[in-house]
Amino acid sequence: MMDTRILLVDDEESLRLTLGANLELEGFEVIEAASAEEALERVSRGEEFDLILSDVRMPGRSGVELFHELARVRPNLPVVLMTAFSTEAEIRRAIEAGVFAVLAKPFNLQRTVATLQSAMRKPMVLVVDDVESIASTTAESIRAMGVRATAVFDGASAVEAIESGSIDVCVTDLAMPGMDGLELANRARALHPDLLVIVFSGAPRSDALMQQAAEEGAYRCIRKPLDPVKLVHTIASARSGK
Amino acid sequence: MKSSPTPTVARAIAKAGSNGPSTREVKELFDTRYHALAARYDRLLAWLIGVQWIGAIGFAQWYSPLAWAGKQSEVHAHVWAALVVGGAISAFPLGMALMYPGRRSTRIIIAVGQVTWSALLIHLTGGRIETHFHIFASLAILAFYRDVGVMLPAAALVTFDHFARGLYWPESVYGVLNPEWWRFLEHAGWVLFLNGFLLYNCVQARKELWLHCEQHVALSDATTAAARMEKLAALGQLAASVGHELRNPLAAIRNARTFIGRRLASNGEVDPKVDQFLDLISREVDASGKIIADLLEFSRPRALERSPCPLHPLVEEAIAIVPPRANVVFVNALLGDLPVPDIDKDQIRQVLANLIQNASEAVTAGEVGTVTVRGMAGAAGECILLIEDDGCGIPEDVLAKVFQPLFSTKTKGTGLGLAVVHGIVERHGGTLSVESIVGSGTTFKVVLPTHPPQTDAPGAE
Repeated sequence: MMDTRILLVDDEESLRLTLGANLELEGFEVIEAASAEEALERVSRGEEFDLILSDVRMPGRSGVELFHELARVRPNLPVVLMTAFSTEAEIRRAIEAGVFAVLAKPFNLQRTVATLQSAMRKPMVLVVDDVESIASTTAESIRAMGVRATAVFDGASAVEAIESGSIDVCVTDLAMPGMDGLELANRARALHPDLLVIVFSGAPRSDALMQQAAEEGAYRCIRKPLDPVKLVHTIASARSGK
Repeated sequence: MKSSPTPTVARAIAKAGSNGPSTREVKELFDTRYHALAARYDRLLAWLIGVQWIGAIGFAQWYSPLAWAGKQSEVHAHVWAALVVGGAISAFPLGMALMYPGRRSTRIIIAVGQVTWSALLIHLTGGRIETHFHIFASLAILAFYRDVGVMLPAAALVTFDHFARGLYWPESVYGVLNPEWWRFLEHAGWVLFLNGFLLYNCVQARKELWLHCEQHVALSDATTAAARMEKLAALGQLAASVGHELRNPLAAIRNARTFIGRRLASNGEVDPKVDQFLDLISREVDASGKIIADLLEFSRPRALERSPCPLHPLVEEAIAIVPPRANVVFVNALLGDLPVPDIDKDQIRQVLANLIQNASEAVTAGEVGTVTVRGMAGAAGECILLIEDDGCGIPEDVLAKVFQPLFSTKTKGTGLGLAVVHGIVERHGGTLSVESIVGSGTTFKVVLPTHPPQTDAPGAE
């Protein structure tokens, strides 16, 4: 993890210091900024970062505003927010605009590091449904919200995509011909134990399938028709380690 | 497993958000009000009896000499009768009204005294029809008490008096020596006729008073609840902002602790107390974080993020986050065939974890206990979850308050845990209730609709 630069933005000095020290201990290079303005200034000066980790509520511009500005000037720079506030419409909008994860303070350091490492890999969401139009439009809608996503239409292609290592979240239909969602989830987890699996189903007798998927560790079940906004929030909370 | 309830143990049931005033409270208010009312009429009737007495002496003095017993002007026997007999029948009711106002025995004695007065007056006037009216007036006044137990003895005494004197001394009551055979029936008939209506009025007036008390209790309950909610809302606002402010320093403390722990771990030998204290910091920071989370959840409930969520694995997850105790076994007895409800997974996990932790803490230290979570489908397809423990149980008076915010029996506790649980279940359109048997255990029951109601209660956003 050498040579990965994190820009840590927080107006609270004590938090900046302690979190920075821990991240440095993890091998990250940490640059601190006390405000969104300072962070933007560094970015506009041409400094390169692999990730921005920012507090939300700060004097001056908020972390969410910082994120929106960065999305404009550096669209590929992953942003993770952290907040002491549990419910804020502002944060919901940031998630719907592609913030990678929102960490709730006070947070567990191990989980935070895992989230940051995952964010820096710029992973993709894999959407799997044998109904091509559903898979494609779902992937398209969440891409429109700034979440990297791709669609495949059968279990075998899904396993192939997961093998490539670029997938961190697999959103799969449960009832599919050939390899169904349950089998896919099992195969995928064997390949990639940290993979987050979100299953969805619209089948009339889907309760038993969902039951089994949840027993086997699916992060969340969703009922068809898929609501892309809801899906994006589910993905963000899964990535935030909630 | 929990032993089945035995009939010898008191059983207490409290429903979350139970509405309507408690009968006990209404009865207490009714008794107080009625006692005050009865005491007021005791005093009124004491006055009346006193005035009657004086009036009767005066009447005997001025009128009797010209009445039926003779034309000699002297202190007539009736004056003595009014003074002595009247005094005798007045003294007892007057004494009772003075010493024991409001008692039932007082008003019965007053009633007896008053109708005896009627009897005396009738006798003194030789059965003059006008004095018979005194009976009707007396009964009507006695009806002020709204007490069937007063009206019935009074009417019975009048009837008996007419019957007995009509038989042995008809002159004294009807003013003639040989009254018609139906004379008694006529008088008794009128008394019963009037008394019937008065009794009806007594019952109605009592009912109205009860209703009035019921409304009063309901209103004062509502006012108290509203005042409490207002206080809690203000407190919640404060708590929320303080809680938020505390989260940053807590995060810094936790980060610092993590850093120190890791640096020390790589340094080899340290005082064992250091490790112990580092753990203590972690634990206390976590506990503080939990208190803040409860405060925030209570003051600003999160909007529900519903998704279909199988319950068996959720109970597993909830059990996993409850701090384990060496003497308590957790049993997830849910079966896989339950309906899959659409719920906010995080919030219901919190509900289950809170209830399971409470259940675990109900097991007395040093005893072995079991916390069992059961699930079943209700008649309408709703999900029913039972969190049972075989711990110490909750006494009835405590049980009535467990869902009230800020109520806690723990020495360490904000009293928000169950209030938060209740709030979450309610926002899901479900119900939360509890049954407890002291010494035998407690069962919390969560009922969740499988499909969400049309509109969810709005959250903070």
